[in-house]
Amino acid sequence: MKKKTKKKILISIGSIFIIGISIVLYLLFAPHRDTQASPIDFRMTVTELVNESLENSKATNDKYLSEDGDSKIIAISGSVASVEMDFVNNQVVRLKEEGDDAGVKCTFMKNTNKNAVALSVGDKITIKGVYRVAASYDEDFEEYEDVIVEECDILRENS
Amino acid sequence: MKKSILVLALTLGSAGVSFGQSETKIVSEKGHIEFLSSTSVEDIKAENSKIKSSLDISSGAVIISVPMQSYKFENAMMQKHYNSPKFLDTKQFPKSKFKGTISNLGDVDFSKDGTYKAVIKGDLTLHGVTKPVTENATITVKGSEITLDSKMKLTLADYNIVFDKGRTSNSIAKTLDVTTKIEFAK
Repeated sequence: MKKKTKKKILISIGSIFIIGISIVLYLLFAPHRDTQASPIDFRMTVTELVNESLENSKATNDKYLSEDGDSKIIAISGSVASVEMDFVNNQVVRLKEEGDDAGVKCTFMKNTNKNAVALSVGDKITIKGVYRVAASYDEDFEEYEDVIVEECDILRENS
Repeated sequence: MKKSILVLALTLGSAGVSFGQSETKIVSEKGHIEFLSSTSVEDIKAENSKIKSSLDISSGAVIISVPMQSYKFENAMMQKHYNSPKFLDTKQFPKSKFKGTISNLGDVDFSKDGTYKAVIKGDLTLHGVTKPVTENATITVKGSEITLDSKMKLTLADYNIVFDKGRTSNSIAKTLDVTTKIEFAK
């Protein structure tokens, strides 16, 4: 084999190897999806999402959950029923309309918590976040469980 | 007539029961679960602070409900792996639940400040499989706050989570350490 050909083959193998390693490293250390920077998959009101959940929570989970955990990003509009802090000091805004059996609990993040603190009960807002689980009636708690949405922020759009 | 009296008695009876329960049952959404998989290859940790729990201080009943997609991993790829159908299959099984009772309720005085050792026996439903488990917990009563701390071992194969092939079989422990902390307000 000619020296030149040998060199070419070596370079090809070398570059394939480097590209392969880079892809593996990228996959291993790729960052988490940025929910707030990603497009909205579905828009709905709190009542619509709660009704859809309570009618068939399994079908609702099938629709909004993804197998890899990067589930659907939703924008939910409704009234603020409460603002509380969770165990790791993130703000949890509960959206719920009067007369509905359940609501939607939206957990904010370190960099968005300040937007939740400014809210008051009764405010009408739209929250963008990632869907985690449907609302349902829980026989053990003997009460309705809310829809859980995480990595939230208030959605401000120019209408 | 007899029938209607019976129905009335049953209705009143069940109303009484649920009233009694709501008086001693405390619901908390301030809780945290962490699991750790420790092998010679690496330690993998994940945390979840979206759990909902209830504690009935008169019957000793404990319920913990866990939204499975709320577990956070430092590494995004591991989080995807965890959620996938090969592991916890969280799309199919989006919630796990523990239902149990403090078996030595007599040793715990919820009305008096102190630290008590409790044994909680019950069933854990995870990945669609229900198995009996026993958790050793520490209950701390301080004023109007009750804190429950528990540590338990969880063997993945018991819940049909098996992986024999590839890299993961070495880097994920067969048995995980699960640490739970819940704050209840009386």
